[in-house]
Amino acid sequence: MKKYKNFNFIMGVILTGLVVLIAIIGCFYTPYDPDAMDAVAKNSGISMDHWMGCDNFGRDIFSRIMEGIRNTFLISLFTVAIGTIVGVLIGAVTGYFGGWLDEILMRINDALFAFPSVLLALVVISLLGTGMFRVTLALGIAFIPSFARIVRSEIKKQVTQDYVESAKLMGAGNFRIIFVHILPNILPVLLSSIMIGFNNAVLAEAGLSYLGIGVQPPDASLGRMLSEAQSFLFSMPWYALFPGTVIVIMVLGFALMAEGITQAQMK
Amino acid sequence: MLLEIKQLTIEFHDHLVPETVVKNVTMSMEEGEIVGIVGESGSGKSMTALSVAGLLPRKDMKKKGEIWFEGQELLSLPRKELRLLQGDEIGMIFQEPMTALNPTMKIGKQVEESLYLHRDLSRTERRELALSWLEKVELNDSERVYESYPHELSGGMRQRVMIAAAMVAGPKLLIADEPTTALDVTVQAQIIQLLKKINEKNNTAILFISHDLSLVKDLCDRVYVMKDGEVVEHGKSEDVFYHPMEDYTKQLIAAIPVIDLEQD
Ligand SMILES: Nc1ncnc2c1ncn2[C@@H]1O[C@H](COP(=O)(O)OP(=O)(O)OP(=O)(O)O)[C@@H](O)[C@H]1O
Ligand SMILES: [Mg+2]
Repeated sequence: MKKYKNFNFIMGVILTGLVVLIAIIGCFYTPYDPDAMDAVAKNSGISMDHWMGCDNFGRDIFSRIMEGIRNTFLISLFTVAIGTIVGVLIGAVTGYFGGWLDEILMRINDALFAFPSVLLALVVISLLGTGMFRVTLALGIAFIPSFARIVRSEIKKQVTQDYVESAKLMGAGNFRIIFVHILPNILPVLLSSIMIGFNNAVLAEAGLSYLGIGVQPPDASLGRMLSEAQSFLFSMPWYALFPGTVIVIMVLGFALMAEGITQAQMK
Repeated sequence: MLLEIKQLTIEFHDHLVPETVVKNVTMSMEEGEIVGIVGESGSGKSMTALSVAGLLPRKDMKKKGEIWFEGQELLSLPRKELRLLQGDEIGMIFQEPMTALNPTMKIGKQVEESLYLHRDLSRTERRELALSWLEKVELNDSERVYESYPHELSGGMRQRVMIAAAMVAGPKLLIADEPTTALDVTVQAQIIQLLKKINEKNNTAILFISHDLSLVKDLCDRVYVMKDGEVVEHGKSEDVFYHPMEDYTKQLIAAIPVIDLEQD
């Protein structure tokens, strides 16, 4: 990580760290129960008791944001994990071996890639149903094609390098060559794709929940909150403002890290 | 006989008309012998060497003939069994030490690779062997080199690292495909000396490829001269150098740049 010492990367780490910290605290402590409704505090604005006010059910917005960050973060994390792990496997095998397997898998991949991830996720959700776990799975599957594609083209570039020949010459097997010799060389590209993928996942989750097919009430997620807030955009603008700002900070944090990694590579 | 190449022919089938890049090449090497292959660019030297190393890409390519190494025929050997020889019995170094090393792997790990693949040694045993080979190829401060990455080393140092990596498992045959072409003259001479020393100390046979017949004369016992994929002349390297039979060999000798070190 030493080589990523640039402004963008450090700012990104700080912003993301802040968001993660709030999510972690949210696992153990929230000022109020995120689902508890308080009729008296309904629609109340910013106050000492409720830092970010309360929503139309009288639920504490700050507590819900803490829970929402956690859910959004976990969904995005697992989405990217599924996309990366399966994508790397497919991309590595097709990029390294080429041939008919590559042809078939990449044609399927191209067909899937032609759909926007959100649309693909919609299809999967309509098959699987809604809820946090299924949304994660749907988004994860939708993210596989783009990762497979990036990894494949990066591996293809590496396969012709002399150091791969050297490894073959020493009697290393294909599996070892792919994962021990080549993979570290595409790590910077993979890392910045993961950051960007994470952002797309945050936005996709927000989008799906906003459409009402993502995280279901009473679970909070940042997208879910935005969706609920839209009816009150004029009467209580802070309701939309806070989760919206958190999404922006989250996305910005990861975008800056990705930028920082790319920048370090350029040098 | 350590190595016997019989009637080796290599054809490419990636164009409309098949292209024969190696034609009926027959060569042999004794244990501990240093043999040279010379010839102009494109004469098929690398193709011959790569087929001995089991590195020729298998698609679009037809190989005929036989390559016998220690009682095994390499061209018909299954990939799995070939891998047991590669790095263990046959080592190879390339022309470009800049790109032949993995940029993201520590030198030490790269030198140890053959040991990892072919020997049942502990981590410390591997490390000690690697360090001892880094010293044998005359890299001082071997501990530091062990911990560094390729970009921290000069071209000459990298070629030494490649030699250490190729030699660490104690192969019977070392193939060196123009190992000094990318280096400047002084470093070139040092590397040649190093190869000579390795041959004497370990009795490693060396197949040395070059387009420079004067280098081959200094290093090799015998030499094969290749032209357009065929062996046109072979014999003791001094005989070939001082009494060439073929016009082509004479041209190769005439093309050797005369470097007068005393001039400046
Ligand atoms: N993929 C390929 N398809 C067709 N011909 C090829 C291919 N690769 C190499 N060749 C041809 O094979 C011939 C022999 O190449 P080789 O690399 O063995 O030459 P060389 O003697 O090592 O030359 P150099 O001194 O430049 O390294 C060349 O004429 C080259 O054009
Ligand atoms: Mg060559």
